[in-house]
Amino acid sequence: MTRVNTADLAFGLFLMSVAAVALYLIADLPMGSTSRMGPGYVPRALAVMIALIGAFIAGRALVTTGEAFPEIAWRPILLVGAAVGLFGLLLPRLGLAATAFIVVLVAGSASKDMRWRELLLIAALLSTFAVLLFVKALGLPMPIWPVV
Amino acid sequence: MLTRRSAVAGLSATGLPLFAPALRAQTFTRQINLIVPFAPGGTSDILARLIGPRLSQALGQPVVVDNRPSASGNVGADFVARQAGDGHTLLIADAGTLASVPALFKRLSFNVKTDLVPVGMVSFSPYLVAINPQVPATSFAELAAYDKANPGKLNVATSGVGAVNHLTAMVVGKHFGLNWSAVPYRGGAAAVRGVVSGESNVIFNGAIATLPFVTQGQLKGIAVSGDKRLEALPNLPSFKELNTPVQDAGSWQGVYASKGTPAPVVARLNQELNKVLAEADVAAKIRELGSDVRPGTPASFASWMDKAMVEWGEVVKAENISLDG
Amino acid sequence: MDLIANLATGFGVALTPANLAFCFLGVLIGTLVGVLPGIAPITTIAILLPFTFTLPPASAMIMLSGIFYGAQYGGSTTAILVNLPGESSSIVTCLDGHQMAKQGRAGPALAIAAIASFFAGTIATIIIAVASVPLSALALKFTAAEYFSLMVLGLTGSIALAHGSAVKAVAMVLLGLLLGLVGIDVNTGLPRMTLGIGELGDGIGFVAIAIGLFGISELMIALSRPQDRTLLSVALSQLWPSRKELKDCLPAMLRGTAIGSVLGVLPGGGAALSSFASYAVEKKTSATPERFGRGAIEGVAGPEAANNAGAQTSFIPLLTLGIPGNAIMALMVGALMIQGIQPGPQVMTAQPQLFWGVIASMWLGNLMLVILNLPLVGLWVSLLRVPYRILFPAIALFCCIGTYSISNSQMDIGLMLLFALVGVFFVKVGAEPAPFILGFILGPLMEENFRRAMNLSRGDPMVFVERPISAALLVLTALLLVVLILPAVRAKREEVFQE
Repeated sequence: MTRVNTADLAFGLFLMSVAAVALYLIADLPMGSTSRMGPGYVPRALAVMIALIGAFIAGRALVTTGEAFPEIAWRPILLVGAAVGLFGLLLPRLGLAATAFIVVLVAGSASKDMRWRELLLIAALLSTFAVLLFVKALGLPMPIWPVV
Repeated sequence: MLTRRSAVAGLSATGLPLFAPALRAQTFTRQINLIVPFAPGGTSDILARLIGPRLSQALGQPVVVDNRPSASGNVGADFVARQAGDGHTLLIADAGTLASVPALFKRLSFNVKTDLVPVGMVSFSPYLVAINPQVPATSFAELAAYDKANPGKLNVATSGVGAVNHLTAMVVGKHFGLNWSAVPYRGGAAAVRGVVSGESNVIFNGAIATLPFVTQGQLKGIAVSGDKRLEALPNLPSFKELNTPVQDAGSWQGVYASKGTPAPVVARLNQELNKVLAEADVAAKIRELGSDVRPGTPASFASWMDKAMVEWGEVVKAENISLDG
Repeated sequence: MDLIANLATGFGVALTPANLAFCFLGVLIGTLVGVLPGIAPITTIAILLPFTFTLPPASAMIMLSGIFYGAQYGGSTTAILVNLPGESSSIVTCLDGHQMAKQGRAGPALAIAAIASFFAGTIATIIIAVASVPLSALALKFTAAEYFSLMVLGLTGSIALAHGSAVKAVAMVLLGLLLGLVGIDVNTGLPRMTLGIGELGDGIGFVAIAIGLFGISELMIALSRPQDRTLLSVALSQLWPSRKELKDCLPAMLRGTAIGSVLGVLPGGGAALSSFASYAVEKKTSATPERFGRGAIEGVAGPEAANNAGAQTSFIPLLTLGIPGNAIMALMVGALMIQGIQPGPQVMTAQPQLFWGVIASMWLGNLMLVILNLPLVGLWVSLLRVPYRILFPAIALFCCIGTYSISNSQMDIGLMLLFALVGVFFVKVGAEPAPFILGFILGPLMEENFRRAMNLSRGDPMVFVERPISAALLVLTALLLVVLILPAVRAKREEVFQE
């Protein structure tokens, strides 16, 4: 137990920062009036409400006790995240076959009981399967091989 | 699929040198991407899927339809603008929309005039101007009289702010002294629904899509854009007879290549495109979609674009519409 | 009787060997596409479109609509097994369906989803045959004011989706509403919160957000737990729902079918609401609402019925008015037009073979789907026995391919990654994503219709109470608020008295 509810505090602060970013982004949009709303009216009203509710949740968290912020296992988040990011970056250049292979390798290494030889085999199988299913059978417009 | 495709490719590859000897050198070495800057289901998309396989036969390479949707089609057009100018990336889009975006957006990431090379016009489909039958009018003149007697009652449904049917409605309305208010919807289908339900009461919309509502009495026809009347509704005057501004407003579909595509490649693409459009069944399908096939040269398409850009630019300026603040 | 004769015409068309084959092909492709996360039925229908040019119109429509409702069946499979919602309706199936799967009850969850869908599909087919004309008249009564009031009702009900803190649920709805507004403002054409990125002009893609928030973040969290060998933390219990479970689900399926049939008729947003609405109704009318979100089988049966009934009745505006209610229906219009058939009010009388043939094929397709899906339950469930270290890289890869395929955009992959990280954060701070998603879907519709109604009434807010349907919906909202708030108030009062 901690003296403040850290999870709620984090959520409250998150809400307040999203609201702040939104208010900054829509600063130039006209408000209009209630009967003739401009494009800025509804987003601004929402952002203010989110900020208020965030302040309430954060404030309440400061005066209540709670569990410590749950521990975060960074390894799977980073590796799965990296795999997804790599897919987006590599697909248009390397084509699906190579990209799928790399994505499966990177994502697969996030598991603690991963075995390299098995993973290489799975990556090769999934890459073949993905090319056959998505490009050949379903006809998705994706390059298979590296684009020169 | 694959085997048939390569068989066809082989056939046309051997057949090619027999005709078009001047263009024989302009071969295509890999897959051609035909970019549709809108979501599946729109006119450009359906035309792409109709023409794509035929172009593939003619060019000896697979032609893959690739949807890169966004508002006004800017994302797809920008993508094509940034590709290598070798004719392997093509854009099929609404030419009127493309001609209007330079005026609508102050900060456009590509230059319609210099970054896209017109390959050829594909088709034209006119607008049918229709109203909800509860509005007691059968012509623009009667609409103007109704508007004068009932100010603030006329609402014209558009498929979005700055859409060609919005611009057309405003400039044509002004010509007839109509002071209607434009109500934007999320796309054409939603706009039709808005007028059929009586929420709005006027629409400028693709002739063939609007026709059944008129023949069934759910909408009332007023006029048709372009220079000739519709066969199905011979009583409705054309924009040319009414001497309106922007007479050839409607849906013009055209194919473009990326900046720097050599003239011989463009010529070969144009030749094959026109050959596809001349095939009887392709022309028939396009007619079913409510469009006329309008093949032409790259040069005539380019001068059409120049004229349209000036015309829509003036309308946008007069209406004071800006889509990027 | 006309109806019998019409249905006989329809079955005459649908039961020809060729059309049966096209129907089967359609539902088979649809199931496959539905099971694959992110691969949208619309992408597949577009790719298959050129193939249908050569088919007779009825066969083309039968196959394409088979893909559409086949995808609905397939989508719930992925939602239940691996918590991956491919479309808005599957979000609700994830809530209790995936919980059931984690408890070793994937079999009953999958089976009830198929049974509820078939049940709803059968009734909805009858509804289309009998009542499509009056229902389409109802759909036309819905103008901007009615839509706005319906969305208000839906959002109020969304708070019932959460089973944790109500304050956090409200915050999540608001957050969803705000993010839903990213993109071009329909009323002015101006971009909002797009950071100048063109792809964001159409808003944040639903698939990117849903697959990131539910699917990828689930992978990240599951891998951080002490390693489960497979997705199952407990042994698989029975494969089929018990007789008692079936009996418990029947009223839920009936209510879900009714809700879905009505909401499905409303183009633009109606169908998206139906599964959420059914879930809220089941939870609120249940004697044991605390089971919801923890594997309540009615929480799968009701929304699945609503979703499938809605999918079916969403054909009504297309078939009777020629107005497509969503993007897939718009593509169907294109498919018909290229066949030389102008969809519109005249189709029913001018093309009875096509009209009734498609309707009959819907029921046949649903029958095929239930026959196809029930034996597959065993196969799907055994997928859960695949070691997780092998399963999850495949899930990650399929999510990426599916999300990319929506608009062939790297942007969507970036968004999916961003929302995966946000999803992990939400789980860590105990904020539930379902109300967020509903807010995200309804936000833009609500604002658009509110401003359109005000624009059309030239700024007079009375339009929302003067129109009877709108007024009735707002009264319902007020009643729902009372129902939602009263228990909380009563609980507070008891607390006070105890002190």
